[in-house]
Amino acid sequence: MRSFLARQAVRLVVGVFGAALIAAAISAIGAPHAHGLAPFFFAAVGRLVHFARGDLGQSAISGLPVLQVLAGSVPQTLLMVLEGACLALVAGLPLGLLATVGPTRRATAPLVQIVTATPVFCAGLALAYGAVHLLHWPVSVNMPVGASVSPDQALQIAALPVVAVGLAGAAAVQLALRRAASEASGGAFRSGLKRLGLSAFEIERRFVLPQVLAGLVASAGEIMMALLSAAVVTEWVFHQSGVADLFVKSVALADWNMAAIVVFIFACLTFVAEFAGRIASRMLASEGRP
Amino acid sequence: MTSAPEAPAPLLRAILRGVGWCGLGLIMVTVFLSDFLARAPAGWTDATVMLSPPSPAHPFGTDLLGRDMLSETLHGLAQTGGHALLGALVAILCGGLFGAVAARLPRPLAFSLRGTLGVLATVPALLLAILLIGLTARFYAPLVAGLAAAPLAFVRAFDRVEVDSTHSEYARATGIPTMTLLRRDLSYEFHEMLGSVAARALAAVTIIVSTASFLGFGAEPPARDLGLMIAAGKATYLAAWWTAVFPAAALVILILFARLAAGLGEGERP
Repeated sequence: MRSFLARQAVRLVVGVFGAALIAAAISAIGAPHAHGLAPFFFAAVGRLVHFARGDLGQSAISGLPVLQVLAGSVPQTLLMVLEGACLALVAGLPLGLLATVGPTRRATAPLVQIVTATPVFCAGLALAYGAVHLLHWPVSVNMPVGASVSPDQALQIAALPVVAVGLAGAAAVQLALRRAASEASGGAFRSGLKRLGLSAFEIERRFVLPQVLAGLVASAGEIMMALLSAAVVTEWVFHQSGVADLFVKSVALADWNMAAIVVFIFACLTFVAEFAGRIASRMLASEGRP
Repeated sequence: MTSAPEAPAPLLRAILRGVGWCGLGLIMVTVFLSDFLARAPAGWTDATVMLSPPSPAHPFGTDLLGRDMLSETLHGLAQTGGHALLGALVAILCGGLFGAVAARLPRPLAFSLRGTLGVLATVPALLLAILLIGLTARFYAPLVAGLAAAPLAFVRAFDRVEVDSTHSEYARATGIPTMTLLRRDLSYEFHEMLGSVAARALAAVTIIVSTASFLGFGAEPPARDLGLMIAAGKATYLAAWWTAVFPAAALVILILFARLAAGLGEGERP
């Protein structure tokens, strides 16, 4: 286990360093006098050194330090991703486990195909339409800037983006569960355990379930990517001003330094989720090993 | 409680793949005939029928500018389908094919490439696409969408080759040249999976292209694109649902057929 942890830690460090290199290269695009291969290379190295010292530079749009701008937008996106992740697990896990039961699995397969074929922006707009026409909720999709709303309405407005991100996460959880269940079905231990006198339910509960859950947490990086991608689109659809919205505006206005740091943050979040997922998966899988 | 799902029956899987390819074929025919099937040329407006609901005269209704939504959806499908095909080709070449080839390069180079593209694969493809479009131009959006989908395709193809597999070790030990191994990989593994890889790339690139257009990084007006049409319909769809529903349905159908054609297994992502 110790060597496994060490290997995963090295993977994490190398991955984060790789992400920093890519971020430095993106940031160097906006550096003055970085035209040509050699000047660009030196600009990228210079940016990397600055990043290592904790100096993330300034936003080309606002002129404010990047850290200050990020402090205003990162928490909002992280909160949305976190709430979305909770929703994805609360909704996706029980549904996923139910949907992998023999006959239900076949019946739900077409539905899963259709749901996962729907782009997040279409799902977000459909959600907003349903909220307006079925629940009579106000939505921020076409709301004028600065419109006054009551605290109840503000809560309803804030809930929809979280639900949209959560649904995208739930779809990713569903896929990860199905994949894990499919892999666990190939295990040769079932017949052996049956011969030992264990009931089918006991085999499922004590040996298969930990493996399926291990497969789910092993896909934590993939689920995190799905949540982050959904956050980018959702913030745009629902006019939320988080880090994903900041990224889209930074690229549109050629603020490469800001865009580079956002890419770095997103890559780091995925790496950390992958790292934690692999370790948790290993622990769960060893619990359920027959 | 989970029970072990059985592997999908080969016949059922083959039928679903067949349905997917037939659907894609139908969409391709529709795309080729879009100018003939559409009742009005792209962007043609009629100010007398603004936001008209679906009717025999306009089966998909009209939008805020009085454009026939059926014609516009057909033109948009042609544009999105064409762009997605181009992007999918780039994703196959720069992702799937390059990944299979890179796995047989000298080990330090192969694993350096795997590491670099592995890092890029941790950034959501949509973000990469937006970044690359920002660095180039919206005109290159289809190519860029393919490039954005390539890192993940590269990693999958690289890992599928199994550099350290027993057959590779035996081949190396017996002096079989790397080029022979590469030819074997391409002819046995990549060749067999080409249809699936292509359909999978098409599904992934369609989502990227349309989302980028929706966010304002793809097709530029007056060109029609399903993502752009949905973005335009966003202003009115709460009162006039048909301005967004029909382009969204066309988009979902295109992605769904591509996913079915890919024959994705349990829980596989495009």
